[in-house]
Amino acid sequence: MSVDTARILPLRNGAGTNPKIVAKNIQKYFGNVLAMEDISCSINEREFVAIIGPSGCGKSTFLYLIAGFEKASHGELLINNVPITGPGPDRGIVFQEFVLFPWLTVLRNVTLGLDIKGVQRQEAEERARKWIRLTGLSGFEDAYPSTLSGGMKQRVAIARALTYDPEVLLLDEPFGALDVQTKNYMIQDLQNLWLEANRTIVMITHSVSEAVQLADRVLVLSSRPSRIIADVAIKLPHPRDLRDPLLRRHEDEITAILSAEVDKAMSLERQASAKAERRGS
Amino acid sequence: MPNATLSEPAAAFANEQRPRSMVYRATASVVVFALPIIAFLLIWEVAVRLGWVDATILPPPSTIVRRGWVLLNPSDLGQSILLAHIGVSLWRALISFALAAVLAIPLGFFLGLNKTAYLIVSPLLSLLLPLPAVAWTPIFLVSFGQGDLTIVAVCFLGAFFPILYSTIQGVRGIGRHSLWVVRSMGAGWFDIFRRVLLPGALPTLISGLKLGMAHSWRTLVAAEMLAALSHGLGFMIFAARSYMDVSTMFVGIVCLAVIGLLIERAVFGSLEAVTIRRWHGTGKLGSNR
Repeated sequence: MSVDTARILPLRNGAGTNPKIVAKNIQKYFGNVLAMEDISCSINEREFVAIIGPSGCGKSTFLYLIAGFEKASHGELLINNVPITGPGPDRGIVFQEFVLFPWLTVLRNVTLGLDIKGVQRQEAEERARKWIRLTGLSGFEDAYPSTLSGGMKQRVAIARALTYDPEVLLLDEPFGALDVQTKNYMIQDLQNLWLEANRTIVMITHSVSEAVQLADRVLVLSSRPSRIIADVAIKLPHPRDLRDPLLRRHEDEITAILSAEVDKAMSLERQASAKAERRGS
Repeated sequence: MPNATLSEPAAAFANEQRPRSMVYRATASVVVFALPIIAFLLIWEVAVRLGWVDATILPPPSTIVRRGWVLLNPSDLGQSILLAHIGVSLWRALISFALAAVLAIPLGFFLGLNKTAYLIVSPLLSLLLPLPAVAWTPIFLVSFGQGDLTIVAVCFLGAFFPILYSTIQGVRGIGRHSLWVVRSMGAGWFDIFRRVLLPGALPTLISGLKLGMAHSWRTLVAAEMLAALSHGLGFMIFAARSYMDVSTMFVGIVCLAVIGLLIERAVFGSLEAVTIRRWHGTGKLGSNR
């Protein structure tokens, strides 16, 4: 797709200006280890935000805080201006390793959220079919997960998280466990899905191209203890093409910030291990 | 989708092949299973007939079958000695197994979910799990005397620990992300149990039940030899020793083996077929799909 045709395609149905998720001075300790130093950010309604950072920087931990699986040591984390106290059906999650239930068929996996809510079977299946179609799973409703490929499994997990209609979708490295071809194909294939979903999405990733291709905004985290070191808005229409020079510029910009951070982290690590060695000898 | 185009022809192929080969495959698997056993029995028969072994110590299969036929008394099954022994043995083994399952499964879920309780109980379990339950027989004999109570108590212990251990391992093997998925859907404890913990632990739980039943069955024989007042296959085998009735002993041994096999294949085999084999049917070393 050329840059010109991309121009006339829609922006996501306007990321709103109302803050959906607000983090104020979040700090997180694991035992005595400070994992997050100070994270403050505001994620707007219907915004697609990608969070990227060096490995081990606590990106996933931040997502789990939003999901309510973990608790912050200090600071305030709000959704719709209400503090997050635990997991809830207003936030759906997709994990890197799919986490499907092998004893349920594709359809039953997808309707699970509605089944728990107590929605009637027929209505649940109807609502599930919409997302099964949009994730490209039609025809696989009665298959068991063990018969599916990795890419298909992740489609099921995404459909499952969208079917019970959470306001916020949390994606924890959703393409991280897939091979490169499948991953590239899925990112392209699912671009329209995010438009259709039209809700707040927070995606953790370690791939810059994934982030710039999908997100309205990219937050770059520092290495541990993490802070936000860059907040890059990507105002390009969807669906996007990686060959778009404007997209390339964003990709280069973020890659530069990230590799500077990784270099810093590596040299600190090397110094620390050298010091430990000297102490040892 | 590239994935769909790959798997659809394969599925069509499988469907086309199924109807004709079903009967063939079933027969073939029976033959493959029975052939080594038949060959073994033939060699045994020939070895005894040729006088390589003493028939009073190792009677030939034909003699054992004849003795079994007499004990079975097919003309009047109501008066069948063999069926009476089998019935009593089965009843004892099953009641002990059921008691063990009813107590061990809930306890296993509790210990699997509660880390502190698990840390306290785990060393005890490691000691008790490998202990042969038969070792308790004399102790129960002292307190309960000879009879069903002692036998059932010993078999219960034989079944209890494998079931408990497997349930704990099954629950502990469930990934925390699985729980997180349903908790983020707003699931309460009952939903978490019913939709994740129970089905998630089921594969390990079923192998625990299988082990439990097998332990109950083999413990039974020894317990019946030591503690039965009358009846039971163990009792029958042990009583035959007074008359040097080796054929009856072998009839008992054959019954124990065949019933053990039937329980494993018929009960647990079909339980597995409707659950775990349907879920994880492909790509495992032991599967034929």
